[in-house]
Amino acid sequence: MSTAALRIERLSAPFGSAPGLEDLSFEVQSGERFVLLGASGAGKTTLLRAIAGLAPAAARRMEVAGYDVAALPPERRDVVYLHQTPLLFPHLTVGRNVGFPLRVRKVPAAQAAKRVEEALSAVHLESFADRMPHTLSGGQRHRVALARAIIARPAVLLLDEPFASLDPSLRQEVREAVLTIQREYGPALVLVTHDLDEAGLLGDQVGVLLRRRLAQVDRPAQLFARPTSLEVARFLGMPNEVVGRIAEQGCFESVLGVLRVSRTIAPGPSVALFRPEAVRICERGFMAAPVVALRHRVHQTTAIVEVGGTRLEVALGGARPPAAHSLVQLSIDPDQLMIFPAP
Amino acid sequence: MRWGLLAAALVASPVAAGVVYSAAAATGLAGFDPRGFSTDRLSRVLGEPAVWESLAWTVRTASLATLLASALAVLVAMTFRRGRGVDRLARTLAVLPLPVPHLVAATTAVLLLAQSGLLSRLGFAAGWLAGPADMPPLVYDRGGLGLVLTLTWKELPFLALVATTLLATRGAALEETARGLGAGPWDTFRLVTWPLLWRGLLPSIVAVFAFAAGSYEAAAMLAPSDPLALPLLTLERYTDPDLARRGDAFVLVLVGLMLTGAAVGLHEWVRYRTTELPG
Amino acid sequence: MSSVLRAGRTAGLLCLGLSALLPMLLLAIWSVGDSWFYPALWPSRLTAESWRALLSGEGRLWAAAVTSMLLAAGTGAMACIVALPVGRALARLDGWRRHLGAALTFLPVAAPPVALATGLQFSFLSLGLGGRPIGVLLAHAVPAVAYVSLYFTGVFAGFDARVEEEARSLGASAGQTFWFITLPLLRRPLAEGFALGFLISWSQMPLTLLIGGGAVRTLPIEVFAFVEAGQDRIAATGALVLLVPALVALAAARLAASRTEVAAV
Repeated sequence: MSTAALRIERLSAPFGSAPGLEDLSFEVQSGERFVLLGASGAGKTTLLRAIAGLAPAAARRMEVAGYDVAALPPERRDVVYLHQTPLLFPHLTVGRNVGFPLRVRKVPAAQAAKRVEEALSAVHLESFADRMPHTLSGGQRHRVALARAIIARPAVLLLDEPFASLDPSLRQEVREAVLTIQREYGPALVLVTHDLDEAGLLGDQVGVLLRRRLAQVDRPAQLFARPTSLEVARFLGMPNEVVGRIAEQGCFESVLGVLRVSRTIAPGPSVALFRPEAVRICERGFMAAPVVALRHRVHQTTAIVEVGGTRLEVALGGARPPAAHSLVQLSIDPDQLMIFPAP
Repeated sequence: MRWGLLAAALVASPVAAGVVYSAAAATGLAGFDPRGFSTDRLSRVLGEPAVWESLAWTVRTASLATLLASALAVLVAMTFRRGRGVDRLARTLAVLPLPVPHLVAATTAVLLLAQSGLLSRLGFAAGWLAGPADMPPLVYDRGGLGLVLTLTWKELPFLALVATTLLATRGAALEETARGLGAGPWDTFRLVTWPLLWRGLLPSIVAVFAFAAGSYEAAAMLAPSDPLALPLLTLERYTDPDLARRGDAFVLVLVGLMLTGAAVGLHEWVRYRTTELPG
Repeated sequence: MSSVLRAGRTAGLLCLGLSALLPMLLLAIWSVGDSWFYPALWPSRLTAESWRALLSGEGRLWAAAVTSMLLAAGTGAMACIVALPVGRALARLDGWRRHLGAALTFLPVAAPPVALATGLQFSFLSLGLGGRPIGVLLAHAVPAVAYVSLYFTGVFAGFDARVEEEARSLGASAGQTFWFITLPLLRRPLAEGFALGFLISWSQMPLTLLIGGGAVRTLPIEVFAFVEAGQDRIAATGALVLLVPALVALAAARLAASRTEVAAV
């Protein structure tokens, strides 16, 4: 069995005096990116700080590169935690900032200088070594902080919402820098975000942190297609929710009629969540519904239709946008419904 | 969290030690002639009219100086509040004497205000005074005018600094907001500027009162011998040749520290009220 | 109306100028005035005798100035060392605890020095500290530590401790973090804290008088004695010397304030 870069088993961490994180377990391999997804206040930052040794936590196991670090102080964990905004040391030049981890590890000066140069060139800031932090732009500061974090080759890099404070153009710049340094230095990345897109874009694995627990850990494709609980599905932002019940033999009965669903779900009151693509406007569908409004999103235009008193957001499916109040035909793909027992 | 109060208690411990020792000495348990617990000394010293006169005189002098200095500080802050030029110069001048030791202020006051001081000489040269005896007594006089003026001069820089900072950091934006909401210049001053200054200055005013009341050097050089200012009376008793009277000083120490305690308590309470509570 | 206002402003400016500069000017004249009898407006002779004595290192003023300097430097250093952790702990308090902590810390600052000295003298004597410079140093440290602690509380309220976390996470031990990060970042507040402690000791008199018992002769003690003895010229010279550190500190503070600060990143 290979050694994971980071292995957390049954971690609990308090939020001040309030009840905190409970019973978290996950594993990240070297070179892998693990994205922690969660609403604000879910405890994402607390978890990162607990791993870094900056916040108190109890865990059955907390291993970095095979070593138990639970009892070690932050500086001996081989883990670097990066705050949301880059905190460069204001009294040190860029070069000395980046060289700081080597200085405290008493790396000989000549060797350190060479490594600083390498790290700066990895983030394309070769000529910035003598600048003071306050003369840098926001994106440059982020890149310096990344170079500094990676220079001592930690096994794990913890990034707390690294792109949240950046505008979209800088986001791209910093994201590239993160990917570059990971490629060149190969640490495991644990990255916190509340942005679904970012999680899908960057994560090899995504862990959804809801109500102080890890509700689901999966590959992004699997997570977005098959959330394992109503809670996670709701968090992933399904625009449609239809109440109904599962009858015998796996039939879902609701305003959408009686649908055969492939998965085996216990009979009883249930809820179906689905994306607009699960229901499409088409020439010949299984039911007709009036269009109430159109909704223009960045990537597609959808229609709001009314079915049995419930409003649904449905995809146009290549059809031209229908006129308001017109009747349209709908088809449905039962496989795309996510059905959970009613809460 | 717990360390903070412990650290504060540590810093305050010498005062606590002073209070405990003085209380013990004032009740016959310690000091020059410990004879076992008794409240005789407490009741005797607190029964002396001279003690109460001394306290009243000290409080009056310190209050007067504090009031004068506060009024002048507000005046300076309001008059010279623009960013540059003359206003900046005026504010610098107002704050300049801030670190001058009490002793230097008092020495200068003696040279300036005494009956043979420079002011008196100027009066003589101008033909207003016939000699030193004509000069109204400002030093050692019962009214304590010289002391009040000196303390006012010593306190003004600090209060002026606080007042100008208040106006500079918070005043302008709040006043503009008030003007934008339809308040005229007078209403803006009455409803925004003045309350801001007053509430912001109050803790500093209380602190400055405590310094003025406890100041020894200025009182020793400028205050009358009857009534004696409280710090002088304390020291006089403490150095009395009669050992029995020496112990009286500890009662006066308690009185002085109680005055300080009240001022400090008021100071923090005002700050608590103005910073932590809404409205 | 506006001309009245302008006249008022001019008068105000003049008064402030006079109030700030006249005392220094007076002391300067007095320190060189010889045989200056009433009602003369100007001394009949000028002499630099008291300055010469001071600068040649003879006489009581010079010895007192050296004693004062050593005591003040010691007090400033001690105040910084003790007040740094105290101020940090105080800054972490909140709500009523913060105000209780501040009130307690403020007590030694506001307590009348005479009362403090009287209350402490017996304890100092019984510890063998009376009449000795070390005792006076400790006595001066009582208000100085409190004052500088209050100052550091304000400093730490605005200090971003996450920078220290960042350093720890990057591999620095607690000691390295303090040495390489905290201390350099606090260099200016530390200098200011030292200056505060220095000035408190430098201008302190009643504590010196009672704890030193007349054996530790600082500059304020000597100046006071010269004033009492009517030796105005020497007193004025001493008073001017007393002003020097105060003016240096003020000038340094203004210089630092006018220089653009390195923004915390």
